[in-house]
Amino acid sequence: MTMWGYPEPVTHLIEQFMKLPGVGPKTAQRLVFHVLTMPSQDVTEFSRALLDARDKLRECSVCCNITDIDPCSICRDTSRDVQTLCIVQDAKDVAAMERTHEYHGKYHVLHGAISPMEGIGPQDIRIRELLHRLGNEEIQELILATNPTVEGEATAMYIARLVKPFSVQVTRIAHGLPVGGDLEYADEVTLAKAMEGRRPLL
Amino acid sequence: MHIEKLILQQFRNYKNQLLTLHPHLNVLTGDNAQGKTNVLEAVYYLAVGKSHRTNHDMDLIQQGQTMAQLQVVISREEREQELVLQLRGHTKTARINGIVQSKMTDFIGRLQVVLFAPEDLSLVKGGPSVRRRFIDIELGQSQPAYLYHLGQYARTLQQRNALLKQFAHGTRDEEYLSVFDQPLAEHGAQVWLRRSRFLLRMSELVQHTYATLSSSREHLTLDYDCSLPGVDLLHNSTSVTALSEAFQNALRQKHELDCRQGHTSLGPHRDDLLFFLDGQNVQSYASQGQQRTIVLALRLAEIDLLREEAGEYPVLLLDDVLSELDNQRQQNLVLAMSEKVQIILTTANFIQLPKTMTQQARLFQVCSGIISGEG
Repeated sequence: MTMWGYPEPVTHLIEQFMKLPGVGPKTAQRLVFHVLTMPSQDVTEFSRALLDARDKLRECSVCCNITDIDPCSICRDTSRDVQTLCIVQDAKDVAAMERTHEYHGKYHVLHGAISPMEGIGPQDIRIRELLHRLGNEEIQELILATNPTVEGEATAMYIARLVKPFSVQVTRIAHGLPVGGDLEYADEVTLAKAMEGRRPLL
Repeated sequence: MHIEKLILQQFRNYKNQLLTLHPHLNVLTGDNAQGKTNVLEAVYYLAVGKSHRTNHDMDLIQQGQTMAQLQVVISREEREQELVLQLRGHTKTARINGIVQSKMTDFIGRLQVVLFAPEDLSLVKGGPSVRRRFIDIELGQSQPAYLYHLGQYARTLQQRNALLKQFAHGTRDEEYLSVFDQPLAEHGAQVWLRRSRFLLRMSELVQHTYATLSSSREHLTLDYDCSLPGVDLLHNSTSVTALSEAFQNALRQKHELDCRQGHTSLGPHRDDLLFFLDGQNVQSYASQGQQRTIVLALRLAEIDLLREEAGEYPVLLLDDVLSELDNQRQQNLVLAMSEKVQIILTTANFIQLPKTMTQQARLFQVCSGIISGEG
C-alpha cells in the first residue's frame, strides 16, 4: 500500500483514514482530498475533536458505559429505578435503548460477548464488574439484552448461571416480529421464532 | 415443466447454438470432449445460477470472447416463460420475459432441474460428510428454518471446540462448557428431527424408485446412523425436548473425552446415512452398477419430492449415467421417467431405445461445439 503516487503526507493521511471501519482506499482518498480543501481552522477543530474523544472519554466506574464524567449521567440520575439492570454488549446498545424512552432502569455494558474462537472469555468482558455491583447494590432484576447471536446467547446463558447464588430475577429480552410490519414480509426464521414465543391473549 | 428451446451463445465451446427440445426424451450423443456436458451445464446454470463444475464464471465464457449468453424458453403451468442469463466479466444479468431481475434469488428456481452427474457416485462411495451434505442441501432448499438451525449449530460447535482446545491445556470449567452444551443440544435436536422427517419420506420414495429401476429384483432401504447412543430416528418417534435433553446429558458425560480430543465427539455433525440392499450394507458389498442405481434412485426420489413441493416436475439432466447400467435398467430408467418428466441425457455410446420410445424422443449429434439434430 505504498504506491499511491501522492506526496508522503497525503499517503500517510490516506492510510490513517483506512484504519476506520468501512473505509476503503477509494473513500480514504476522497476524504483526504476533502480535508485538503477545508479551512485550516476546521482541520484544527477536527483533529482536536478526535483527541478529545480519546482523552476525555472513559469507562464509567459503575456501569462501564462510555462517559466524559464519572460516574456517568445515567448512573448519577437519582430518578432512575435502581433495582433493574439491563445488560448490553455495547455502548451503542445503551443509546438504542435510551431512544425508546421506555426503560427507566440502569445499565451494565459488557464491551463484547464471549467467543472462544476469537479468544474472548468471560474474564475479557465486564462480568467481574457486574458481580461486584450485584454484591453492593439493591438489584432485583437483571435483563439480559445481549444480541440474539450464538455469542450473545452464550454470554446471556453464562451470566444467568453465574448469578444463580444471588437472589435476583433474570430475564431475557424476546425476539420476534417487528412492530407495525406485515406478517408476509417477515423472514421464515423470525416468523417461526415468533410462533415459538406466542402468548395467551386473555 | 419442460424446456422448449435452448440457445447458447459464446458459452464454453458453443459459438451460437439453438436446440429445440422434445418434451419427453432428448439424447445427446458424441465422442468425448465434444461439448455434451456443456449443454447440461448451461441448463443447470440457468436453474441454479451457478455451475456444477466450476466456481469461476469466467471459465464459462468462450475463449477469446468477453461475454456469454444463455437463453431458454420453458413451459410451466401452461405458460411460456423466457429466461435469459448474460455473463460479462464478473457481472451476471438475469431477465425473465425481458424484465431485468435485480436479485438472482428471484431468478433461481424458475427453471427447476435435478442433475445426475458421474461425480454423484461419491454419495455412496465417499465419506459420511458427502451424505450429510446431500441431506443438508435437499432439506435446506425447502426449509429455511432447517438452514437456520444448522447454521446456529455449526457456529456453536466451532465455539465449543475452540473452548475444548483451551481446556485441553488447563483446567476444565464445567459451567462454562455447559453454556455451549445447551444451545448445541437445542439446535442439534431441531436438525435431527427435521432430518428424520425428511429421511422417512425420502426412504419411502427411494424404495419405490429403486424397485422401478431394478425391476423389483432388489430392495433398497435407508437408515440413519445417529451418533447419539440408543437413538433410532427413523424407527422411534421422539420430541425435540426429549432429544435435546438426551443430547445434553450425553454431551455432559463426554466432557472429559471431548476435552482430551479437542473436539465434540457426538452430534448431527458425526452422523451418517446408510444404504442397504436386501439387508446388506452397500458400501462393503454392492457392485459398481448397483451403486450407480442407488444414486440414481436417490435423484429420482428428489424429483418426486420437488413435485410435492412445487407442484410440477423438474427437468431431469442425466450426464453419462447409462454406461454402467445394463440394458434392462437403462430402459426402466428412460421408460419410467420420460413419461412424467423431460429428460436431457448425454451418452458416448449409441443407446438402444425401445421401439415405442422413438416417437417420444429426439436424438442429437454433438461434434466439437456444433449440435445437429433430427428434428
